[in-house]
Amino acid sequence: MADLTYREALRRALDDELARDPDVFLMGEEIGRFEGSYKVTAGLWQKYGPERVRETPISEEGFVGAGIGAAMMGLRPVVEIMTINFILVAMDQIINHAAKIRYMFGGAVGVPMVIRTPGGAGAQLTAQHSQSLEAWFAGCPGMKVVAPASVADAYGMMKTAIRDDDPVLFCENLVMYNVTGTMPDDPDYTVPLGRAAVVREGRDLTLVAHSYTVQRALRVADTMSRDGIEIEVVDLRSLRPLDAETVAESVRKTSRALIAEEGWSTYGVGAELAARIHRLCFDDLDAPVERVGGAEVPMPYSKPLELAALPLESKIEAAARGLLAESGIA
Amino acid sequence: MSEELVMPRLSDTMEEGTIGRWLVHEGDAFAAGDVLAEIETDKATMEFQAYDAGTVLRILVGDGETVALGAPIAIVGAEGETADEAASAGNGATTQPPQEAAAEPEPKAAAAEPEPEPKAAPARKPSKSSSKAKAAAGNGSRATAALRVSPIARRMADEAGIDLAAMAGRGSGPEGRVVKADVERLISSGELTRPAAADAPPATESAPAEGEIRELTPMLKAVATRMTQSKQTVPHFYVESEIDMTRAMQLRAELNSGLADSGDKISVNDLIVRASALALIQHPQAHRSYVDGKHVYHTHANVGIAVALDDGLIVPVLNEADTKPVREISRETRDLAGRARAGKLKQREIEGATFSVSNLGMFDVANFEAIINPPESAIIAVGATVDRPVVVDGEIVVRKIMRVTLSCDHRACSGADGAKLLLTIKQLLQSPSLLLV
Repeated sequence: MADLTYREALRRALDDELARDPDVFLMGEEIGRFEGSYKVTAGLWQKYGPERVRETPISEEGFVGAGIGAAMMGLRPVVEIMTINFILVAMDQIINHAAKIRYMFGGAVGVPMVIRTPGGAGAQLTAQHSQSLEAWFAGCPGMKVVAPASVADAYGMMKTAIRDDDPVLFCENLVMYNVTGTMPDDPDYTVPLGRAAVVREGRDLTLVAHSYTVQRALRVADTMSRDGIEIEVVDLRSLRPLDAETVAESVRKTSRALIAEEGWSTYGVGAELAARIHRLCFDDLDAPVERVGGAEVPMPYSKPLELAALPLESKIEAAARGLLAESGIA
Repeated sequence: MSEELVMPRLSDTMEEGTIGRWLVHEGDAFAAGDVLAEIETDKATMEFQAYDAGTVLRILVGDGETVALGAPIAIVGAEGETADEAASAGNGATTQPPQEAAAEPEPKAAAAEPEPEPKAAPARKPSKSSSKAKAAAGNGSRATAALRVSPIARRMADEAGIDLAAMAGRGSGPEGRVVKADVERLISSGELTRPAAADAPPATESAPAEGEIRELTPMLKAVATRMTQSKQTVPHFYVESEIDMTRAMQLRAELNSGLADSGDKISVNDLIVRASALALIQHPQAHRSYVDGKHVYHTHANVGIAVALDDGLIVPVLNEADTKPVREISRETRDLAGRARAGKLKQREIEGATFSVSNLGMFDVANFEAIINPPESAIIAVGATVDRPVVVDGEIVVRKIMRVTLSCDHRACSGADGAKLLLTIKQLLQSPSLLLV
């Protein structure tokens, strides 16, 4: 059991898969000699050479499309989009092509491609560079969308995503990159896609989150446990397929559900989960399902405004306490 | 434009507030900064001030009633306006002609009050009569409350065979929604088919009837929650000692005869507070809080002093007691205790203690163990001072003996730390002139 950063865990998964399967290759802007803007691919260009760690021009639509073509022809491309904010110019390739090819070719050919890209806010990168757009993709049939929140999951899910025969949007997180955690020793360790995990047990409230918001949720649970309130934290890990059953199982126990996410609540992950929970757990609920998301504004530059827009621990805690108050629990 | 005043958040931990009493009537004009009502939080009674000038159009929550944070408690607006313009519910205000209120030079007398109250008893009756008027007018949720039940509460009640009809509007959720916790209470109280409190008369000053069930006041709720949390999460250990108070009592008598004309009177408790404060500064390891896996050291001894109320208790805080002479401690304590009993403490006066003193000596208690008030790391429980035979230099003599028990948080300090603190308190009280320097 070694401690690694989230960034190192991703790098190790890429390294292991490059070594294991000659069909795997990486593609993206500055991922070779420069080692990637966030250094996830550091050392891999030197180790595997420019054929398998391919530099691209600044042309997301072009190289995502190239990845789709390579995947259709049997390779397993792992395409890096520098941040999720830059994925929008490749939207047509992802939604109209990657997500639909297996269906439109009658199952004859698929797109075993991973697009890995970090999102998240908090570094005053302002409106165009602070977004969490994963829910937009998670709404599209044909896509798989994952967003691990721990070092072990980053490693295990990256390997599973690369081995998956369908397109996977692998959402990393800028703040998570430096988070340290325990890596399993098992070199064959993998984590299945589409399975949520209860990362902290509790009886009073189910708090659901994904990506870096899981870390915030765990801190809120720690804080509130000092007041004798025990929050169960569910890490979704995958947004599509969505493991609503694990969430529902938790809500059946706690009778209350709060969903926190860094993206906007409107039409967001919480919106989808709230609908599922109301259907799966209607007779178990003691209060309406509640959501906390980023403020519904373009992310401001000003630090105080940025902090005000983020779903920080204080907001999550206030929402949790509000739900508990509605349930007559102080 | 009229608008709703809502129950404000007056303490970090409050979830609901009780209107102690209104200081304005319906129809009264007020200026920004005027105190409109006294609101009881879980910790103290606080003044509720107006942010802007206006006129009270309707009081929605009467004296003694409790509502959740953010719930409307009154409708205010311009003189002559009716409450209906703000609140879609309710037509009660139409019984009070707006023109009359506008025309009347002294609005207090006319608009809100069919039968003007004598000025001596301001807020009580008006709000009751107004809520009656509302009830008569069939004013929405409050008066003729619909039965709202959360899904799981409904399922649990069904399974337990409880008829929730009488709980309409009485649940602890928003707008009286019956929630899981309410049903759990009903089940555990054994009142299965006869919902608790549904037929009980509103709590008054009368003695509780046999088997009567009453809601806890916010203060009692806070005590229940905090003490349960403390006993369940703070690993208490106890060190006990007997303190020879003979010289301290002599000193006290001397001081009080000297201070007789000043109005000051030093109590045994004042000496204990002073001794504790000085001892805490000498023993930093017994004067730190365990918070979130860390030790928080305290530079000054802020001593909480438990004050018994008719029903419950409150612990006002004497800040920086280590820097204050006994006489100052005595004065401040008397002031705090007096206002504690009157429910007039401010929020900041009941926060920030680093240690507490609980004294039941006046009840002739030999000895007891107190529960720590987190995040404080210790509390001293003080028994009565009594004449007892003790052995001094091989002779049996009668001395004034006081038994004390120090409860300590073992995460903050060790047994030896606690024992050293207690020993210093004892030495100070047994050589009490040290308390004066």
